[in-house]
Amino acid sequence: MTGVTVLLLAGAAGFALSRRTGLPAIPFLLLSGVAASALISLPEPFLEDALILGVTVMVFVAGIELNPGRFRLQRKAALAVGLAQFLVLGAVGFGLGLLMGYSEETAAYLALALSASSTLVVVRVLQVKRQLFEPFGRLVTGVLLLQDLLIILLIPVVTRLHHGAEALVSGVLASLALVALAAVVLRWVAPFAVQRLAGDEETLLLVILTILFSFLGLANLFQLPLVSGAFLAGLALSGFPVSSLVRGQLKTLSDFFNAFFFTALGAVLPLPTAPEVLHAGVLALAVLVVTPPLVAVVAERMGFSARPALSSGLLLSQTSEFSLVVGLQGVILGQLAPGVFTVIALTTLATMMLTPFLTTDRVTWALVHRHPFKRGESLEKRPEDHLLLLGCGRNGLTLLELLVVTPNEVVVVDDDPVLVQYIRDALVPALRGDVSDVEVLRAAGADRARIVVSTIRRTEDNAPLLAMVRDVPVLVRAFNVEDGEWIRSRGGRPILYSEAAAQDFEEWYRTVWKSAAEATEPKEIPGES
Amino acid sequence: MIDAPLLRDLGFILVAATAVVFVARVVHIPAIVSYILAGILLGPTLGLVEVSYSVEIISEVGIALLLFIVGLELSLEKIRDVGRVAVMAGLGQVVFTAGGGLGLCLLLGFDLLASVFIATALTFSSTVVVVKLLDQKKELSSVYGRIAVGIFLVQDMVVIVAMTFLAGIGEANDVEVGEMVRGVVEAFLGMALLLLVAFGASRWLLPRIFGWISNAPETLFIWALSWCFLLVWGAEIMELSLEIGAFLAGVSLAQLPYHGDLRRRVHPLMNFFIAVFFVSLGIRMEFGAALTVWWPAVVLSLFVLIGNPFIFLWIIARMGYGERTAFLTSVTVAQISEFSFILAAMGLAAGVIDQETLSLIGVVGLVTIGLSSYMILYNHRLYEWLQGSPILRIFGAREEGLERTGRESTEHFADHVIVVGMNSLGRLIVEILVAQGEQVLAVDTDLDKLQGLPCAIMLGDAEYLSVLEEAGIRDARLLVSALRIEDVNRLLAYRGRQFRIPSVIHAFEESVERELAGLGVAHLLNSRVAGVDQITRELQKEGVFGP
Repeated sequence: MTGVTVLLLAGAAGFALSRRTGLPAIPFLLLSGVAASALISLPEPFLEDALILGVTVMVFVAGIELNPGRFRLQRKAALAVGLAQFLVLGAVGFGLGLLMGYSEETAAYLALALSASSTLVVVRVLQVKRQLFEPFGRLVTGVLLLQDLLIILLIPVVTRLHHGAEALVSGVLASLALVALAAVVLRWVAPFAVQRLAGDEETLLLVILTILFSFLGLANLFQLPLVSGAFLAGLALSGFPVSSLVRGQLKTLSDFFNAFFFTALGAVLPLPTAPEVLHAGVLALAVLVVTPPLVAVVAERMGFSARPALSSGLLLSQTSEFSLVVGLQGVILGQLAPGVFTVIALTTLATMMLTPFLTTDRVTWALVHRHPFKRGESLEKRPEDHLLLLGCGRNGLTLLELLVVTPNEVVVVDDDPVLVQYIRDALVPALRGDVSDVEVLRAAGADRARIVVSTIRRTEDNAPLLAMVRDVPVLVRAFNVEDGEWIRSRGGRPILYSEAAAQDFEEWYRTVWKSAAEATEPKEIPGES
Repeated sequence: MIDAPLLRDLGFILVAATAVVFVARVVHIPAIVSYILAGILLGPTLGLVEVSYSVEIISEVGIALLLFIVGLELSLEKIRDVGRVAVMAGLGQVVFTAGGGLGLCLLLGFDLLASVFIATALTFSSTVVVVKLLDQKKELSSVYGRIAVGIFLVQDMVVIVAMTFLAGIGEANDVEVGEMVRGVVEAFLGMALLLLVAFGASRWLLPRIFGWISNAPETLFIWALSWCFLLVWGAEIMELSLEIGAFLAGVSLAQLPYHGDLRRRVHPLMNFFIAVFFVSLGIRMEFGAALTVWWPAVVLSLFVLIGNPFIFLWIIARMGYGERTAFLTSVTVAQISEFSFILAAMGLAAGVIDQETLSLIGVVGLVTIGLSSYMILYNHRLYEWLQGSPILRIFGAREEGLERTGRESTEHFADHVIVVGMNSLGRLIVEILVAQGEQVLAVDTDLDKLQGLPCAIMLGDAEYLSVLEEAGIRDARLLVSALRIEDVNRLLAYRGRQFRIPSVIHAFEESVERELAGLGVAHLLNSRVAGVDQITRELQKEGVFGP
């Protein structure tokens, strides 16, 4: 039990440091593992088993999360950005690998390790900054899921590179066969089994794990990497409601084995030599220099305005936990020297640690102001005494329809190009731009408006508006009471959506629920459609 | 099947367990028995899997997590009032069962040394089997559940002492009395130290450090597990059982407000590890010479299945408990323990018992664990069947007992409204419902957000079915989610439909509206539409739409 205890204690220390510093947990878990192995010698077979189990569960859960519905609205942009980043960073990794004197096979591993960003780190940052459901948040989520899929599909290719073309083709065919099986399980088997067992959590867990181990067995039979089997098993369970029903069961397993995996990984890492540190530095620099502009350019071409495009680039500027999986796979197969794995781990550690510093509003705005191709839109004449609507959305259109029939001039600012064009077609003046950009606000005449209405999602993004506009009534959308207080303290007038929704609930409760409950059994109240 | 040996073994174990569970469900065989049967299939029957070092570790982690959950369920308050009966019954039963078992073995023709080993093996009941079944029945907190857990922990201490003695006997046939006494004293000192650490930390350390991370569920979970395994490690160093360490870790956290949430989080993890434990138990069973020992096996199994409970019934009834509690507690001890197999293996290695005796203990183990699982699962029906019969009265059981004054703490909700997510919207909805006279239960993962609400509260993640079950979803009249988390809202809408409970779900994004409506929610809380309406009203006040 010593090994389990030591790894868990290292995990606890890693999480504590992460919480104390506000930085991602993964680098601290790795470092805690390094420290633990320096203090106590853990048996190698135990660490190997911990790594294998940990990586299997982590990749399996990543497969379950591969739900295209999460980025449905940003599908095209996610595909473009994800592929561009994957290919360009892959090429950079391969080129740098060769320049550093590694073999082609090792360079291919480095290419794969550099080509994806970290789902675990980025989703956490988006959650903390409350940007997960913003359009660029959905874009970034889509990019990450796509990259996870690509990296898993390419691992069998990279591991067979030196076996020749025949082995490559058979690897691809075997992967496709497993993908087809995953599709069958996704469509027919999993919904049947999981829904029948939805009330029996113990047996449900057994079925989930049986599906996982069956895919692992098949991957082994087809001589594919185990991670491919684990990921496709997850994919087979990624449909709704299966994924939602199993997520509760797997959450604790995933938390436990992730902590185990990263600390065990830290414990087996050999201490880096000076050239390895140098190589990791070069690779990390490449990721940090190439990713933000590349992602920003592609995202802007797909219709995003400067700030969300740059935010996406900065968010994606790190290598992934899957980079560690790639490295580990290479070491297990004897195709990668442990030193190269150390290089990959150091690159991941450094880039992940830098993510929270790179994704601050300050850095983003500094880059926005230096943006060489920033398109400054303006109206024919600077409006005055108008109604300014910042952020429109589908629900905002209803409001707009009411406003345009009033004698007031209405101006709209939104960062969605399609929506802006739609509004312009209706002969309403509209600007495409970031409503937290002072220049855009000035162009829209925010300080000269009769009333400003801001319906943008993130309360903090109203700070420039509230600082700029002093004598104009500013109605600002907010959800929580605390956000409302924040707006009020800056001179704005909060419109609390939570209060409005609560009133809506009360009305429904009094008119529909109570009367139906009095007339019939409450359980027979029909659903809305 | 798979190259990596651990994954290969786990694959066989889990696939076999699932297959047997599915077949066994048809004839209502309990999951525990199915797991053991799967193990017998994989080990003694087909020889596909042996218990490797890592599988052994996984099994031990399973036991530790199971006892940790028990500890989290049973705070100091809950076990204090059953302490006396647990000690008396635990020790009393050891004496009587060991004495009876020894006499029976001698009568069956075993020599003295073998009889001592077999009698000891028969004496101890399986903590893991019973606790797993009580957990499954959600009766760990009941009076009889608490007494049973107390008895098993007392027995665990006795096992440590017994192992010390038997190891002394086994090692050299030349008993070193001084060594044995030293071993026993060390065990008690270790226990005292562990108790001191656990309760000292519970009083002064744990509330502070867990308070710091209380709103980070992932960190809280890993910290709780670290604490559990730290005490397990401490118990191991002091040569105590890992069960004791894990249980004390759980009890020391049971005083914290997050203990219920932690228990529910650890549960799925425990289910995985403990399944491996039970299958590995089956793998380890030895039946090589079982046919030659069928007669003693039948006699000794009957002694454990019937004799052991009656010994208990007699002791517990004498402690002032009523017939029902005495009977239900007694039924829990009708099996031998996994320690029995370890003891038997020790005996074989020391040459004190032969292969036949090893097989005998294996058969008695399988029969008693299998049949007692049924007895525990159907204990209430069994009691109703025997209720009022003279057989219970002979052993001194009375209808009324001490437990009438005890606390049954399980809170049950019915005909209530569950509101998930205590953001501003959730809190307002709670206030509206309470003002309308509804019985409301508020659920959130953050304890701070649950403070100051005028209703019952529950700390927990609604993604876990166990949270909704404990919130009484089956008996609720309405399920409301104010959350702004797409996946959880979708799941809650699904759960509402699954349990035929009307649901009101927050559709905070346009993209989820259609899907939620498709899941048959009673009302979509569309905060954006309501918000825009509010803006329109404000603009009206500003005279935007004319006077």
